[in-house]
Amino acid sequence: MIVFASALTFFFVNLAPGGPASVMRFDVTAEQREALIKRMGLDRPVTQRYVEWVAGAVRGDLGSSLLTDEPVAQRIGERLPNTLTLAGAALVLSIGIGIPIGLIQALRRESALDHVLSLLSATGLAVPVFWLGIVLILIFAVSLRVLPSAGVTGIAADTIAERLRHLVLPAVVLATTVLPTVVRFMRSAAIEVLHEDYIRTAASKGLAPRVVVTRHVLRNALIPVVSAIGALVPRLLGGAVVTEQVFSWPGLGRLALEAAQGRDYPLIIGLTVVAASIAVVTTLIVDIAYTRIDPRVRLG
Amino acid sequence: MRPALSTFLLRATSLTVVAALAVSACTSATQPGASTAPSAQAGPVAGGTVTIPIGADPTLNPWSPNAFVESLFINRAIFDGLTKPGKDLAPAPDLAESWTTASDGLSWTFKLRSGVKWSDGKPFSADDVAFTFNDVVLKPDLGAQNRASYAAVKSVTVVDANTVRFDLTRKFAALASFLAYNAGILPKHVLSADPLKTTSFNKGVPVSTGPFKVEKYTSGQSVSLVRNENYFGAKPYLEKVVFTVVPDPNTQIAQALSGDLQIMILDNKAAVDRVKSASGLLVVSRPLVQYYWLSLNQTDSRFTDVRVRQAFVHAIDRQAIIKSVELGYGSIANSPITPALKAYYDPSLASKYPYDPAKATELLKAAGWTPGAGGVLQKDGKPFVFTMDVGQRGVLEPVNALIQQDLKKVGVTVELNTMEWNAYIQKDVVRREYTATVNWWTYPSDPDVFPYYHSSAAGKRFNIPGYQDPRLDDLLVQGQSASDLETRKAVYKELQRYTSEVLPYLFLWYPQEIDVLSSALQGVPELGLRDSMHYIGEWWLAKK
Repeated sequence: MIVFASALTFFFVNLAPGGPASVMRFDVTAEQREALIKRMGLDRPVTQRYVEWVAGAVRGDLGSSLLTDEPVAQRIGERLPNTLTLAGAALVLSIGIGIPIGLIQALRRESALDHVLSLLSATGLAVPVFWLGIVLILIFAVSLRVLPSAGVTGIAADTIAERLRHLVLPAVVLATTVLPTVVRFMRSAAIEVLHEDYIRTAASKGLAPRVVVTRHVLRNALIPVVSAIGALVPRLLGGAVVTEQVFSWPGLGRLALEAAQGRDYPLIIGLTVVAASIAVVTTLIVDIAYTRIDPRVRLG
Repeated sequence: MRPALSTFLLRATSLTVVAALAVSACTSATQPGASTAPSAQAGPVAGGTVTIPIGADPTLNPWSPNAFVESLFINRAIFDGLTKPGKDLAPAPDLAESWTTASDGLSWTFKLRSGVKWSDGKPFSADDVAFTFNDVVLKPDLGAQNRASYAAVKSVTVVDANTVRFDLTRKFAALASFLAYNAGILPKHVLSADPLKTTSFNKGVPVSTGPFKVEKYTSGQSVSLVRNENYFGAKPYLEKVVFTVVPDPNTQIAQALSGDLQIMILDNKAAVDRVKSASGLLVVSRPLVQYYWLSLNQTDSRFTDVRVRQAFVHAIDRQAIIKSVELGYGSIANSPITPALKAYYDPSLASKYPYDPAKATELLKAAGWTPGAGGVLQKDGKPFVFTMDVGQRGVLEPVNALIQQDLKKVGVTVELNTMEWNAYIQKDVVRREYTATVNWWTYPSDPDVFPYYHSSAAGKRFNIPGYQDPRLDDLLVQGQSASDLETRKAVYKELQRYTSEVLPYLFLWYPQEIDVLSSALQGVPELGLRDSMHYIGEWWLAKK
């Protein structure tokens, strides 16, 4: 799958109009353009370049960035931890808040609380990320001055506490892209489980309601939710592009945007391979998680 | 992903203003009453850190083809050229103390400052100047940025350790001005291998001669500068200058409001009132050597008639454009020489083409365009319809929409084709497959606009409309050949008059830059922020 993604990307990005940013500038003459294209090796056929890229990639060499001349692997390596931190924090927030809220909504179905929470999650889905980001910056960084507005850490002091403070706003904003979906999935899955016979059996055999909810309802309702979360990871990476831009967060999303705008072909392909790998790994993790939650599934 | 995001950002602009107004009430509540500039009379004091935002990671080599606009700030603070723009924008001494031109105008001799050291302690010499030009700029296969500006330079010769000579193929009166424009001298002893691709230099800690040197480069986050202890000039007041990478212009504004930044260019002019009302921030406007234009491709026979070009200028309400997209920060342009070039600019041309649709209709009629079906002008049975390509950047989208409306009023139908920037450059600039397009030129602080207007630059260099005119060519060459200031002034006065008459490009307006700065920040000259970087050693922070 990763090989397929790389080949597809390689040919598509080379087909896209435009070219590397150093060449596509107003203040560059035709003679300079020719020299630069030759220097970057872009005067050779795409197929030849792809074969060379694959030959390098199998040895772990993803080539050099056209924008900075640094190795692609190094550029991605610098940014990957930041995106994993941000996406991880947003995912933890979404699961940690989304599952209890979904469960509460299911248990208090059609109550005023259920309606209010449903309205809130619909709003959460509708609000654009960049807008929410700027509004939160204006409130918490400009007016209240309690949280920083941008970056991963303080310029003067790089401490764990500073890093956590910088993480709060972007993680909350990114979480809004998936949290409402987690809540809705959890709510409907729990409602379905609540109608099952075994829940009635469990309740009628005298188990405490708390035990019924945690051991039976939660566990069974989580099965569809876990697979939904697996499917949400790509959306999280997509949301990271805008979140990272608004909060000046040096992650893969911003790097991808720069690479696409500057037509940095080797970097775009390297990023695609990494994103495809993340998707593959996530699917694997979800499959493993299934075996833990769902007693019917066992890895063969 | 791209078009969606730019739509987002566009919408963000308007939404942010609303959001900013919504929270402005509580902002003013949390801040004590506005204080005036503190202790401006007291002399400069040393110390403090100034933080400046940049839009992307910089490339710390002024000649790298990847050194885009965000790199200019730092490169001008750390590298020195032979000259720098004076506070009047005329070339002033920097690494060169003085210069003379041979009587035939074909060679220039620069006397270098003695005792200059690189930031690593090694001595600077004429060899470094010769290396920068002979081995970097003039090497065709390296594709160095701004190489085209030195087309007239044959080679640079070391006369002695403190003297270099530029030998030219033709007269080039603007050389000293061009050498002040992103022409930092590179260290030969560090860069001899691949001078434009040394990443430890471009993306790390370069060796330089300026008042500040790089302390640390953190990709995607910041570049911090500290004083260069080996600097030849006065010791800078500031202890540190930090450039933070903040790609979103609205986040930059938020950071200025929260006091995280001390100076920035306000690209989103719609936010100017909000920033003005914040305490502790000053808003100033600065002149730029820049003008916006509409290029009508001269391979299209409809646009070779000067009356059509003149009619368009009468038809476009340029004052309304300045008011709406620049919030008034700009003035009408009728030639390529901007008001920032005070010694040359001719203000009498400003009122040459008033907004006058009736006059436009009259000129179009004289050119054979008469009203046809649906109010659209026609000539020989063909309606006046054409496409303008719009690059997605800055104010170009709203400007094109306004021009489209104005031309519609005189019976000319314009279709707008909006394109992602990179693809736009390929189509309109590289391939020249366009009919009409709006854009801008920024150029060195000198009226020598030869590269953008000469016939030899049509088609593949910077003459975007492809306008060719022997009379204009003659003026351009005269300007380059004139040896004294008075002769140059006379030539460029005539050039302004002539270009305003024949309109090689349709001149739109001269923009001004809006800078936002902390009221504690002093000593910043009244220049565009990027030019002020040459004077960063003079900046200082008043104690609160």
